[in-house]
Amino acid sequence: MKDLYLIYKNLTRKKLRLFLTCFTIFIAFLIFGAVTALQGALNSGVEMSADNRLITVNKINFTQPLPFAYVNKVQNIAGVKEVSYANWFGGFYQEPAKQVVTMAVDPITYFSVYEELVLPDEQKSKWQKNRRGAVVGQRLAKTYNWKVGDTVPMSSNIFSNKDGTQTWELQIEGIFTAKDPQTDTGYMLFHYKYFMETQIWGGDNVGWLMLTTTDTNLNEQVAKAIDDSFANSAAETQTSTEAAFNKAFIEQIGNIGLIIFGVVFMAFFTILVVVGNTMVLAIRERTGEIAVLKTLGFSSMRVFRMILIESCLLAFFGGLLGLGGAYLAVLWASAAMARFLPNLVLDQGIVLQALGYMLLLGLITGIVPALRALKLNIVSGLQGV
Amino acid sequence: MALMSQSMAVIVMNIRSLPRRFWMSAAMVIASAVVVAILLAFLAMAKGFETTLKSAGAEDVAFFLRVSSAAELNSTVMNDQVNLLRNAPGIVANDKGPMVSPELYVIVDGIKKTSQTKANIPLRGLGEQGVRLRENFTLLKGRMFTPGTNELIVGQGLLGQFDGFELGNTLNFGKNRWTVVGVFSTAGNVFESELWADARVIQSLYNRGSSYQSVRAKLSSPQQIEGIKAYIENDPRLNQVVQSEASYFAEQGKSLSYIAIFGRVISTVMALGALAGALNTMFTSVADRTTEIATLRAIGFSHLSAFVGTMAEALVLSVLGGLLGSLAAYLFFDGLSTSTLGGSFTQVVFTFQLSGNLFMQGALMALIIGFVSGVFPAWRAARVPVAVAFQARR
Repeated sequence: MKDLYLIYKNLTRKKLRLFLTCFTIFIAFLIFGAVTALQGALNSGVEMSADNRLITVNKINFTQPLPFAYVNKVQNIAGVKEVSYANWFGGFYQEPAKQVVTMAVDPITYFSVYEELVLPDEQKSKWQKNRRGAVVGQRLAKTYNWKVGDTVPMSSNIFSNKDGTQTWELQIEGIFTAKDPQTDTGYMLFHYKYFMETQIWGGDNVGWLMLTTTDTNLNEQVAKAIDDSFANSAAETQTSTEAAFNKAFIEQIGNIGLIIFGVVFMAFFTILVVVGNTMVLAIRERTGEIAVLKTLGFSSMRVFRMILIESCLLAFFGGLLGLGGAYLAVLWASAAMARFLPNLVLDQGIVLQALGYMLLLGLITGIVPALRALKLNIVSGLQGV
Repeated sequence: MALMSQSMAVIVMNIRSLPRRFWMSAAMVIASAVVVAILLAFLAMAKGFETTLKSAGAEDVAFFLRVSSAAELNSTVMNDQVNLLRNAPGIVANDKGPMVSPELYVIVDGIKKTSQTKANIPLRGLGEQGVRLRENFTLLKGRMFTPGTNELIVGQGLLGQFDGFELGNTLNFGKNRWTVVGVFSTAGNVFESELWADARVIQSLYNRGSSYQSVRAKLSSPQQIEGIKAYIENDPRLNQVVQSEASYFAEQGKSLSYIAIFGRVISTVMALGALAGALNTMFTSVADRTTEIATLRAIGFSHLSAFVGTMAEALVLSVLGGLLGSLAAYLFFDGLSTSTLGGSFTQVVFTFQLSGNLFMQGALMALIIGFVSGVFPAWRAARVPVAVAFQARR
């Protein structure tokens, strides 16, 4: 107990310095928490993808279409459980800047390929029966305050409707959610057939196929079988796991992400070095006092322990406050920027990582002066006083 | 005059005593350097991207897209519409007729050098007028593609960031085979991130019939665009919107402006942390010099000289940090070439660009850190009581 009181007195002897040091640590961990959460959000598409789901796209590029006939051909390949398909609609709501991820899909198979999505059976069957029906993810429905029964005019920046406009009136028949809160539900689905019949170019192309395999171990074999069966045709394919496809897409943003996060983490560590330096010097000033403590009969180990506890306390105090600040910042940002960054969360992994760095900061800044104190010769220590 | 010389003497003294507080001072220099370097890194990235797009647009080129398409990739223009646009007023003509260039814009895959993953590369289909419209176009190596053949030329920027587009290579896009016959430059702007080929060949290979995606037209003066707007308005067969090419690319250049905002937020938050560190340093410095300051006061130096001396120390340290940070940003980031997904859903190759203006912003940041971290400790220094000079050395 007495030790704790001494540690407390040592920490608070210069209140201003304590405040400034804590504040710097606070800022460092605030940035660490917020930026790591941001990085996680950008990568979440990879983590949230199902293990046994594959994506087949045109080999030229995923913006090029595939013939509709491929759907049945792929269904017949051994190891394929279920196939679905989608077309990119290029949707926006009211004005071009308000882009809404909208896809024309097959209403029967879509939800069995994306098993993690939850749509009440009643709504699902109503949607399947209504050609002009659409289902909306919960996050998107919240953004525009859409409800089941609403009719929404969805415009396309790519396609034109046969009625001469670029707008389709869609009736919302259902709102789907996801089993895992980190799964994105910020998009809208409507009937592929209806879309194809009403857009001026017609045709029987699909944008891409998504399929599940009967066993994860078959992924590679199935992907190869699909690509081989369309080799040397007019539309060659490229099949990859959903995770690999999403990862490749994130890679398109490229190393600017790497540069940003690299720079920020370097700054985080530099700040820790700078603040650690201050903490080491603060304890070093007290060489004389440590010699007095030892003269009074405090064992070397006890002094060693006290100094380490002091520096760790400081690191955790500032660090936890910073992490708390980051939590609030992330909470605010995920509400304010839900449209751009759906999966912004400060998860357990980040907290553990941050706690690790706090411990490291406390130990490293404490160990140098603590070791000095351990070895300090009372006589030479007192000479300075 | 006396004040000046007194202040000078104190400043020199303070700065010469810096080595005594080496580690604390170094901490402040590093903290301010990091803040400045981060700010500059982000701003240079946003600036480089913006310049790459902005410089691609000409004021006297009219740019036509279908209503609400927002980008070339989404737009369509029919051949008969192109013919109508050829007759629009104010368009310059040369020996090949009106300088109107209908163009196609499709996406193919390229392999990014840094990650070895696939990325969206734009393949632009154009004709001779299209090339002549772009005044800064130069062929660096090889020759121009021959119309009607599967030949293409590759932008210099693309060549640096993606594998497989070297001169003489054969490329497979699906079943189509292409030969790279030339390398071109457009003075570093976004067209250098593209592959160019004959529009008619792309029309047939990509089942586009006789349709195009965008139209560019050279105007006799930027003001002619108003006449063209009226021309489109009066013809129900045209569902295009027109703007100057410059304004289209200026809009596209904004798509990375969030980077600059993010950079400003991060570096401001970090500056607060650095400020706290710097205040620690400066208060330590004042504590360290207490006897000194009191002694000077005892022999007749003014309050103000103590204030100025401390202030100068803070500014010197933070500016030193600012210089160090700018130097680091310059060495690591200036001219750094990279690519990212732009507004047209394709890769834009750009280089980080540090300008005088950005360095000024970095310097301002350093000065603010120096000023704020100096003023409070300097105030304390100015109020050190003279009596301290006569107390026993602590």
